[in-house]
Amino acid sequence: MDKFRMIFQFLQSNQESFMNGICGIMALASAQMYSAFDFNCPCLPGYNAAYSAGILLAPPLVLFLLGLVLNNNVSMLAEEWKRPPGRRAKDPAVLRYMFCSMAQRALIAPVVWVAVTLLDGKCFLCAFCTAVPVSVLGNGSLAPGLSPPELARLLARVPCPDIYDGDWLLARDVAVRYLRCISQALGWSFVLLTTLLAFVVRSVRPCFTQAAFLKSKYWSHYIDIERKLFDETCTEHAKAFAKVCIQQFFEAMNHDLELGHAHGALATAPAGSAAPGTADGAEEEREKLRGITDQGTMNRLLASWHMCKPPLRLGQEEPLMGNGWAGGGPRPPRKEVATYISRV
Amino acid sequence: MEKFRTLFQHFQSSSESVMNGICLLLAAVTVKLYSSFDFNCPCLARYNALYGLGLLLTPPLALFLCGLLANRQSVVMVEEWRRPAGQRRKDPGVIRYMCSSVLQRALAAPLVWILLALLDGKCFVCAFSSSVDPEKFLDFANMTPSQVQLFLAKVPCKEDELVRDSPARKAVSRYLRCLSQAIGWSIALLLIVVAFLARCLRPCFDQTVFLQRRYWSNYVDLEQKLFDETCCEHARDFAHRCVLHFFASMQSEMRARGLRRDTAGGSPEPLEGPDGLDGDGSRKAHLRAVSSREQVDRLLSTWYSSKPPLDLVASPGLREGGLNHRAPTVAPGARLSQHTDV
Repeated sequence: MDKFRMIFQFLQSNQESFMNGICGIMALASAQMYSAFDFNCPCLPGYNAAYSAGILLAPPLVLFLLGLVLNNNVSMLAEEWKRPPGRRAKDPAVLRYMFCSMAQRALIAPVVWVAVTLLDGKCFLCAFCTAVPVSVLGNGSLAPGLSPPELARLLARVPCPDIYDGDWLLARDVAVRYLRCISQALGWSFVLLTTLLAFVVRSVRPCFTQAAFLKSKYWSHYIDIERKLFDETCTEHAKAFAKVCIQQFFEAMNHDLELGHAHGALATAPAGSAAPGTADGAEEEREKLRGITDQGTMNRLLASWHMCKPPLRLGQEEPLMGNGWAGGGPRPPRKEVATYISRV
Repeated sequence: MEKFRTLFQHFQSSSESVMNGICLLLAAVTVKLYSSFDFNCPCLARYNALYGLGLLLTPPLALFLCGLLANRQSVVMVEEWRRPAGQRRKDPGVIRYMCSSVLQRALAAPLVWILLALLDGKCFVCAFSSSVDPEKFLDFANMTPSQVQLFLAKVPCKEDELVRDSPARKAVSRYLRCLSQAIGWSIALLLIVVAFLARCLRPCFDQTVFLQRRYWSNYVDLEQKLFDETCCEHARDFAHRCVLHFFASMQSEMRARGLRRDTAGGSPEPLEGPDGLDGDGSRKAHLRAVSSREQVDRLLSTWYSSKPPLDLVASPGLREGGLNHRAPTVAPGARLSQHTDV
């Protein structure tokens, strides 16, 4: 299982690798979904084309949007786009890079669905069975004797072997083979076209603006990792806050109850002797709090993270929040900067 | 098992990951449940619709309630909603955030069931076979209306004698399945478009408020978990002391009755015994005063009725009278936090 863990960790290492993993899974799921899906041509003149078009187009759209929704980068892109510039300028090239990389990955599952649908042929057969050239494939002489609606009703039943009753006009197998052949040709052409396009894009891109591309890629990874680290730091902070809060609550209860006891050994039990034992643990937790010890300050920190992200320049001593910082002084900001240095 | 442990650890990393994990698990259970369920349309005129629609809507309701039950955060949310304000004011925004995240995750499994049922088609065919318009199908031209109704009711049952190998049955069944699949895919498309728009457009509205609410809802969840753990620890120590106290008091009682000739301890022993055997001073720290049933009850009811304020430096007393006495012990605490600032 080490192999599995290695793969898992590799895929988790950044959002792009994770999305590659999700992409692969969705492509497989798309193929599996198609094989599990029971294609059910209505075999009625007006409904065939609508049903087939729906099956060819709706699931790819669903898969594409699902690929975007599952990608955390979507909300990150929207956040980065809408945030006030503050002290960190916004780079449209980074936003474009993020959007392109997301869209490319999300397109894979829909392409797989369309390719599998065309190669299988049922959808195409259902859509175009009424457009088969009867004069070429069947008894062309009998065709003019039928009115167009009658002909359409007859041909619409070609995909359904159990209710087809037009063998006298056109052998069902002939029509099916003809349409499936065209469908498979279209399918393979589609696959060839998409792979060619992907190949061209991938090989030709380094010829244009490679330096700008490297910068965009770096900063887009940076934004992703920074966001993840910020969330982890917030969670750690919340844990430490909760621990200290509960400890203080228990201590306060202790004091209240001890002071309430008029007699007894418990009243003389020295609270001071208990304090060193708990103080070490409390000290460690308070360190993790990084000086942010009340709700108002935490809210200001979170607001400032969005409204005024810190500049991409480490080692500065400017205060984070200007005049709003009640604690005074650059101490807490420096602590945060030091944390970033030690982590990166 | 390594595989499960890695996945488990990944999902445990934050409360949101835990909820996502539960959500996925429930969705997988739904798929398995649907595929193993033996659909059995009654093929009788009035019961078809009842069975079909019942099967389309009742399991999703049950799955929705399961999703709420399985999610710890729903209980945490209700507790946060109903607790008295006490020293910590309540933020309706946080409660709304928790509510919406719980509801979204609980809705995943029911939607999976509904979509599977619609894409499969059996429920829809069973429920609406009697409501089909016979005019659409030429095969019913030479049947009386009552015959038509009987026929239509039996359409979902392929093996029934009346409709076996009938092209009319196949045509109707195909038509209904096609409609069912179209509705299923339309619902899927609608849901995914809504989810996509919600995800894209959320940062355009109140992003700072969103960050704050997310942090505090995570905090409330963590605090509840930590409090439960601390109470468990306390209960363990309480039980430990209680049991040791009991043994020591039995021992002293036996001594007092003269069954043993050793020099007897008096009242100090019951207290020293547990203390001596404990050997871990820090663990007893929080047992010092909270060491009786009434005191524990009082601690727990105070936790509910008057949660401590979200301000660690200035911690006001739990009771008014205690304030003066507590001043000396609060000061070191405050000084400690300022030391960490510097």
